[in-house]
Amino acid sequence: MKLTRRDFVKSNAVAAAAAAAGVTLPGIKTAAAADADGIRWDKIACRFCGTGCSVLVGVKDGQMVASQGDPDAPVNKGLNCIKGYFLPKIMYGKDRLTQPLLRKSGGKYAKDGKFEPVSWDEAFDVMAEHWKKAIKKSMEENAGKPVDKMTSRVGMFGSGQWTVWEGYAASKFMKAGLRSNNLDPNARHCMASAVGAFIRAFGIDEPMGCYDDLEHADAFVLWGANMAEMHPILWSRLTDTRLTKPDSEVHVLSTYEHRCFELADNGMVFIPQSDLAIANYIANYIIQNKAYNKAFLDQHVNFTKTPTDIGYGLRPEHPLEKAAKNAGKGKLSKISFDEYAASVAEYTVDKAHEISGVPKDKLEKLAKLYADPKKKVVSYWTMGMNQHTRGVWINGLVYNIHLLMGKISEPGNGPFSLTGQPSACGTAREVGTFCHRLPADLVVKKAPHRAFSEKIWKLPEGTLNGKVGYHAVLMHRMLKDSKMNTFWVMCNNNMQAAANMNEESYPGWRNPDNFITVSDPYPTVSAQAADLILPTAMWAEKEGAYGNAERRTQFWRQQIKAPGEARSDLWQIMEFSKRFTMEEVWPAELLDKAPEYKGKTLFDVLYANGEVNKFPVQEVKDTDGNVYENDEMALFGFYPQKGLFEEYRLFNSAPDIIKKGHEMADFDTYHKVRGLRWPVINGKETLWRFREGYDPHVAKGEGVKFYGKPDGRANIITAPYEPAAESPDKEYDLWLCTGRVLEHWHSGSMTRRVPELYRAVPDAVVYMHPKDAKKRRLRQGQMAKLQTRRGELVARVETRGRNRTPEGLVYIPWFDAHRLVNKLTLDATDPLSKETDYKKCAVKISRA
Amino acid sequence: MNLCSAIVHAKPEQAAVVTDRLQEFSGVEVHGGQEEGKLIVTIEGTEDDALADTLTSFNNVDGVISTVMIYHYCGEDAANEEVLQ
Repeated sequence: MKLTRRDFVKSNAVAAAAAAAGVTLPGIKTAAAADADGIRWDKIACRFCGTGCSVLVGVKDGQMVASQGDPDAPVNKGLNCIKGYFLPKIMYGKDRLTQPLLRKSGGKYAKDGKFEPVSWDEAFDVMAEHWKKAIKKSMEENAGKPVDKMTSRVGMFGSGQWTVWEGYAASKFMKAGLRSNNLDPNARHCMASAVGAFIRAFGIDEPMGCYDDLEHADAFVLWGANMAEMHPILWSRLTDTRLTKPDSEVHVLSTYEHRCFELADNGMVFIPQSDLAIANYIANYIIQNKAYNKAFLDQHVNFTKTPTDIGYGLRPEHPLEKAAKNAGKGKLSKISFDEYAASVAEYTVDKAHEISGVPKDKLEKLAKLYADPKKKVVSYWTMGMNQHTRGVWINGLVYNIHLLMGKISEPGNGPFSLTGQPSACGTAREVGTFCHRLPADLVVKKAPHRAFSEKIWKLPEGTLNGKVGYHAVLMHRMLKDSKMNTFWVMCNNNMQAAANMNEESYPGWRNPDNFITVSDPYPTVSAQAADLILPTAMWAEKEGAYGNAERRTQFWRQQIKAPGEARSDLWQIMEFSKRFTMEEVWPAELLDKAPEYKGKTLFDVLYANGEVNKFPVQEVKDTDGNVYENDEMALFGFYPQKGLFEEYRLFNSAPDIIKKGHEMADFDTYHKVRGLRWPVINGKETLWRFREGYDPHVAKGEGVKFYGKPDGRANIITAPYEPAAESPDKEYDLWLCTGRVLEHWHSGSMTRRVPELYRAVPDAVVYMHPKDAKKRRLRQGQMAKLQTRRGELVARVETRGRNRTPEGLVYIPWFDAHRLVNKLTLDATDPLSKETDYKKCAVKISRA
Repeated sequence: MNLCSAIVHAKPEQAAVVTDRLQEFSGVEVHGGQEEGKLIVTIEGTEDDALADTLTSFNNVDGVISTVMIYHYCGEDAANEEVLQ
C-alpha cells in the first residue's frame, strides 16, 4: 500500500474527529499513521480562557505544526474551539520580539528616546539601576516604621496567564525579597469580585462544584456570562444536556441579547446594575413562598448584613466618594433570619420589574425554578457579575439563593463562577499574587500568616510587609502621582486593558519619574508605552502549569524553543534577582537577624535556598520515551519548576498548614495525568467540596461543612440595590458595555496575529439598536464617534450582528489595538474587591 | 499542506442533504457520521487558504446546527511525498 504524507495527516484528522464524536468509521487506522508522519504529540493545557481544555499538539522539526482536542481530557473530551484550533499559530506572528529593546538617545537610556536593541545584560543593568534607586528611597521612608506601615515604590503587575511557578517566583521576589506588596495580577480586572465573595461567604476561595455539573443539572442560569462565545466548550456540554435531558431548562440574564439566547428557554435583558434587584427578588420569592430549606439554614448558615452606600472605588477626592457614607466598608454584622427576610421584602416582582425592565412572567419563571426543590440548578457567571461596582455583593446575592435552598455542593446543584484566564485560579488566586495575599489563601495583614510564610521561605521574623499593597487600578494612580516609580508588567497588556487610559494609565506610564518594563512576546500597546521591552518565551516554549476554574491543576512540558533571545518570565524574574545584594534590599537591622544572608544576592536567598534548587538537572521524558528540553533547567543548573512547585506545596499540603482544603499532588504526578482537582488527598481529587462523601475534609456524619469558616457555616449576606457609578443622562445618553468576541481573546495580542482570526473579525464594531442608530442618522456599516467624559474613538456601526443590544445600550469589544476602548471607560471599581466595572458608563454617539 | 477536520452537527434526517451541501465547498470531504447526526468532515487547502473561513460559513448552511473543530495541520512540507509502502 502506498501512502503519502497527506493520506496520513488526513486519516489522523478523520480519526480524531470520529473519536471525539463517538462515531465509528470503517477502515480508519491511526496507529501506523501516528508513527509514520514524524509528528511528536504531547498534551498541553490551552493558552486561552479559564475552561482549561487539554489540547494535543504536534511538533515536527522544532515547529508546532498541528493540534487536536485531547480525547482523554475530561474537560473537553476531544473537542476544541476556534481559538484552540489556532494555538500552534500564535507563536509565529511576524513581529515576534526576539531581543530586549530599550528607549535610548545618544547611546544612553532616555525616557523620551527611541527603542533600540540591547543585550540582556544592558537591559537588566539599566532596569536594576532604577529599581535600586526606588528601593533605597523606600528604605529611607520606612526607617523606624512597624511592618504593617511599610510602603514601597516598586511594583509588578502579573497575570492569570503566568504559569503557577512564575506567579510563585514573582510573589517570592516581590514580597519576600523586596518586601513590597505592590504585586497584583490582571486577574484583579476579572476575578477579584468572585474572590471577595467566596472569602466572605465561605472563607475559602474558588467554586465548590465542577464541570461535571454540566451533565448533572436540570437547569442552568447564566448571570452575565456569554458562554457560547467565551467558553464554547462548556457551552457545547451544556447544549448537549439541554437537548438530551427531558425538562431541562436554560435561563439567560444579560444586558443585551447574545448567542446564548438562541438556546434560552427564558431569555431576559435587564437594565445594567439591576441584577442586584433581581437576585433579591428571587430570595424574597423563596421566603414568601416558604420554599427555603429550613434544616439546611439551621445547620449550615449564618445571616449577616454588609454596610451600604460604600462608594465606587474612585479617587478619594471624587464627589461620589465624598458623598458616600461608608466608602470602602465591608465588615459583616450578624442578623436574624427575620431581619434578613425583612431586608429583601421590598423586592417584590413589581419592584424588580420596575428596576430591571424584565417582564414579570419571566422573573417569576426564574424565581420558580430556583424555588423548586426538585430542580437541580447551576448558576454560571463571568464578567457581567464580576466587573461590577457591587461585584462582591451580586456574587453574594446569588450565593444567598443557593444557600436558602441548600442547592449547593452536590452534583448538579451549585453556584459556579467561571474564569476568563487559563490560570486566574491556579496562579493569581491560589499562589496569591494579589497585593493583599500570600499563597494558599493566606493574607499579608495577619501576623500568623506572615510568620508561617516567613518560616517556609526561611526569612527572619518581621521580613514580610504587613500593609496591603497597591491594587491594579491604584497602581496606575500611584504611577501618575509619582508614588510608585518602577513597574514591571508581565504576561498581559495592561495599557490596553486598564480603564480610563487617558486620565490615569498613560500619564502614569509616561511620567518622567517612572521606569516601566514590559515583558511580552509581541509589541503590544503596553510594550510600546514602556521604557524597556523584554522578549518573552510563550506558553509552549517553557514547562508550565495552569489551574482552571474547576480547581484542576494541569502541567505540560516544553514543546519548542523560543525564538532568538526570548526567555520565559520565570527566567527573567529569577535572573533579575541576581542583580541585588541583600544589603541593597534589606535594612541592616533585618539582616542582623539573618547574618548568614549578608553578602549574598537575592537569588541566593530566594531561589538557591536549598528548596527551590533541590532537584538536580534531569531528563524530561514522556511515557513514549520522547525527550523534551527545559531551557530554565539548562540555564540555572537545577530543575526550578519542580523546586518552586514543591516549595509552594509546603503552603497547601504540608502537615502544619494553616488553611486546609487546597492540598495538591506532587510534581511528578501532574505530568502523568490530565489534571487533578484540589483538594487532592491520598492521590484522589475532589469533585464537590464541603459535602460528606465527596470531600475528604468533611467527616462522616457531618453532612455539609463549610470548613473555610471557623464555625463551619456559610454566610448569607444581605445587600440592597444601589445605582451604578455613572448612568446615562441627557448629554451622555447611552449605556456603554465592553467585552470580548469569540475569535479574539482579551486584547488580541495573540489572536490578532493569526491571519484567519484577524480576517474573520478584523476590527471592533459598536453593536447598537437600529432605532438608536436611526435617531443619530447612522446606518449599519457607517462610522460613528463614541464619546465619554474621558475620551473618544471611532468605530463601525453594527445593528444586525451576533449581539443585539436593547435601545439605550451599546456594546463594543476591547480586543482592537486601533480602537482603544479604555479611553472611554471609567475606572470605577467595586470598593470591596477593587475590580473595575467595564460594563457600565455613559456614552454619546454621533456620526463620525 | 493545510488540513483540518471537524464535526458538523445536523439532524440525522437531514444529514444526507447537509452532506451534499457541504461537499459543494472546495476541499471539503464528508467521511461519515450521518446516522448519528455528527458528520465527520475534512477541509483541505494550500498554506495560504483560510480554512477557518470555510468552517465559519458551514454555520450558514441550511440544516447545520453547529460546527466544532477537532484537528488542524499546517506545515511546509511535501504533501505527496510517499512515507510508507
